[in-house]
Amino acid sequence: MQPTAARSRRRTILRVGAPLIVLALAASGCLLPPDPVTEDGQDVFNLYLLVLALAAIVFIGVEGFILYAIFRYRRQPGDDVLPEQHHGNNTIEVIWTIIPTVIVLILFIFSVITLGEMEGGSEDPGVTIEVDGFQWQWTFTYPEGGTETGAIGNPPTLVVPVNEPVRLVLNSLDVNHAFYVPQFLIKRDLIPVGENGAPNELEFTITEVGTYAGQCAEFCGTAHADMTFVIDARTREAYDEYAAAKASGSPPPATGGGDCEVTIEIKAENIQYDIDEFEVPADTAFCIAFENLEDIPHNVAIYDGGDALFQGQILNEAGSITYQVPALPAGDYRFICDVHPTEMVGDVTVTQ
Amino acid sequence: MATTTLEPRAAGYRRSWVMDWLTTVDHKKIGILYIVNSFLFFFAAGILALVIRAELMVPGMQFVDQDTYNQAFTMHGTIMIFLFIVPVLSGFGNYIVPLMIGAPDMAFPRINALSFWLLPLGGILIFSGYLFGGAAAEGWTAYTPLSGPSYGSTPGTDLWIIGLTLVGTASILGAVNFIATIFKMRAPGMTLFRMPIFVWTMLVTATLILLATPVLTAGLIALFIDRNYGGSFFDPSVGGNPILWQHIFWFFGHPEVYIVILPAMGVVSEILPVFSRKPLFGYKAFVFATVGIGLLSFSVWAHHMFTTGAVFLPFFAFMTALIAIPTGIKMFNWLATLWRGKLMLTTPMLFSLGFLSMFLIGGISGVMLASPPIDFHVQDTYFVVAHLHYVFFGGSVFGVFAASYYWFPKMFGKKLNEPLGKIHFWLHFIGFNLAFFPMHQLGLSGMPRRIGDYSPDAGWTILNMISTAGAFMIAISILPFLINVIATFINGEPAGDDPWEGNTLEWATTSPPPPHNFDRLPPIHSERPLFFLTHGHGHAAERPEDLEEEPIGASKHGDAERRPEDLV
Repeated sequence: MQPTAARSRRRTILRVGAPLIVLALAASGCLLPPDPVTEDGQDVFNLYLLVLALAAIVFIGVEGFILYAIFRYRRQPGDDVLPEQHHGNNTIEVIWTIIPTVIVLILFIFSVITLGEMEGGSEDPGVTIEVDGFQWQWTFTYPEGGTETGAIGNPPTLVVPVNEPVRLVLNSLDVNHAFYVPQFLIKRDLIPVGENGAPNELEFTITEVGTYAGQCAEFCGTAHADMTFVIDARTREAYDEYAAAKASGSPPPATGGGDCEVTIEIKAENIQYDIDEFEVPADTAFCIAFENLEDIPHNVAIYDGGDALFQGQILNEAGSITYQVPALPAGDYRFICDVHPTEMVGDVTVTQ
Repeated sequence: MATTTLEPRAAGYRRSWVMDWLTTVDHKKIGILYIVNSFLFFFAAGILALVIRAELMVPGMQFVDQDTYNQAFTMHGTIMIFLFIVPVLSGFGNYIVPLMIGAPDMAFPRINALSFWLLPLGGILIFSGYLFGGAAAEGWTAYTPLSGPSYGSTPGTDLWIIGLTLVGTASILGAVNFIATIFKMRAPGMTLFRMPIFVWTMLVTATLILLATPVLTAGLIALFIDRNYGGSFFDPSVGGNPILWQHIFWFFGHPEVYIVILPAMGVVSEILPVFSRKPLFGYKAFVFATVGIGLLSFSVWAHHMFTTGAVFLPFFAFMTALIAIPTGIKMFNWLATLWRGKLMLTTPMLFSLGFLSMFLIGGISGVMLASPPIDFHVQDTYFVVAHLHYVFFGGSVFGVFAASYYWFPKMFGKKLNEPLGKIHFWLHFIGFNLAFFPMHQLGLSGMPRRIGDYSPDAGWTILNMISTAGAFMIAISILPFLINVIATFINGEPAGDDPWEGNTLEWATTSPPPPHNFDRLPPIHSERPLFFLTHGHGHAAERPEDLEEEPIGASKHGDAERRPEDLV
């Protein structure tokens, strides 16, 4: 009937549609999570692909219509004729109530199915590891007894076996944290629960040997960004070897104070050192007798600006240790706790 | 006969313009105060956003230290939400709602002034933390125990609590005022189903504020007691529960999202019909969808808490997914309003179309987040930051600018310059997408929110650079807007009473309106009284019988046209 109108409509569709579809395909091609390395992660990834496809359809449909309307229905200058005044149409309203209903029901049903697969965890995980989060580090405690605590610039590594369920018991020692490994496509909060609460647990089965970066995902204060860790997924044999070595652990070198010409005594309590400065002679090795009075990890390290001159072993719980510190050139340095670098700091003066 | 000549007091009584603005109870002046105050806080919080984006541009801490960074994002979120978006929309509501319903003022003018003046006070208190050892730094959500007495010990957090309590009180008072005004002050003939959609959205918004904000206020007071008087509401070591705070906060916080978006939806629903020269498609469906969103908004709060392991996932996932239905209905009705219209791409229309296309993306990512397994991956990552900015910025802020360009002529009698407005729009639109679209990918790749630093090996650097460039582009886009406002004040084109051929009553009076708003009101037979006045129902053959204006009060005892079913 109206060839010009039809042609103009076709041209508009082409002009709007083609670049939009290209754009949407390009965008959805990159809008992907990392390749999953756990069984549950694969389930989440598959669900995400379905949801992304639905999202892309809605996006192209609606944005396409908006652009189409902008190009097609522009008012020409001087055109004072009113368009037809459509006030509404109940049939159409019902139809477009049904469309989003169907979409969200699909989303909901597949989400619940995926959730069921994820939560159907194993009765008896191969390994259960205690994870303690605190401001601003992690401690991993293996069933064999070994522990690992991170320090600033030296994130802790959690070694786990592949191809069997690993269960983490997630405790917080202070504020909320979250255990997050992007390639697992999952995170779970660590919440302080008091004496009567049960801590959260997280279970996963890694399918590929490798190392995967993780970090705290729930804002937890000053050095939240530094709360990183590494997952090191190994074969069962390699894991057993590591856990055994960790459990027997090379005990802290218990050196008697007698070997030292100079011994500085430092105690840690309430996330504070008992002294805020000390002085030692230059070019002379000395000792630090460090006593941790609480069950919060601490150590003593000496820094020149950002460079560590000495990093003492971290005491995860109350106890004492004597560090042997190598000779330092004269100058002003800082001593800090690697676990609490903002609260526990002091000055070291090395005099000639 | 003893007569006394009364001295005409008003003639001799002059206040300076400063005192006039400080003591005004005129809803129009208070509305302008709200808007100006909100924009000042918008600029302050925008500068904080630039600090955040500058710091994140490349790995490492370059400009600020971690504590300063944490204060910056906490203040940015708090100020943008509580002192910009909510009050600026209340400001437009304050100015426009009485005009739209043909009322001379708000129901309680003095309470109206009080609820405005609490805002700058609260805002200054929140900012004053910077003078006392650092502002609050726990994020705008202030999760316990981090915000509790043992960890968040700066006075900044206490000031944050007190300031927010005042701001919350202001919103509650304002909500009462809106509800009373809308129910009791409508002009004859203005039945509920003839109210403009903007008035409907303000009514639902005010109801949400009235129900949700007291919950936050109670939570803030409990937190204040915990911090200062040895309370233990949220302390697990003595039987409190840190998760309780999250429930309280989000029971308020999710309705808050709709408090922020519904008025912007209302603005867009006024502008699209005017510049399409068609009525809003499906007016009643739109009203029911608005009410439906308001009701559902109270049953979805725990979708912010999927990863706590402390909520029943299917229920909250289902309720959250349901909200997509009324939102979808609205989107389809907007699209149908454009269909076969005659579109005029003025600046307010551009911002409204920008709202549609950007809010759509925020809506889609919101539905994705409703799926618990997907949320497990992207919760607390930049995906959520992208999502909330597509809703708050792509949605509400686009709505705010649409409203600014649309109603500026009414407020000041002069039209903002169109070419400058279009430059503003395009810089804003492109900058916004550059700043926030890459964040979807950053979040999917695992970048957590609220970190000031990230590893150079993480592969996030390029996207962060793009995002930072976009943020500065948004900042630059504000310049043409400011220049436009100033230039228009100095030398703007006079707008006349009705520069856009509007539909609603505010265009029936002068620009700016007189203190009492209307000398005469046109008859109100539909939700488009002004359109009706010129075009009838819009069918060429048919003309309305009584086109002549009638003086106010003439139809006090009932309008002949009113039928019982209209008297809702």
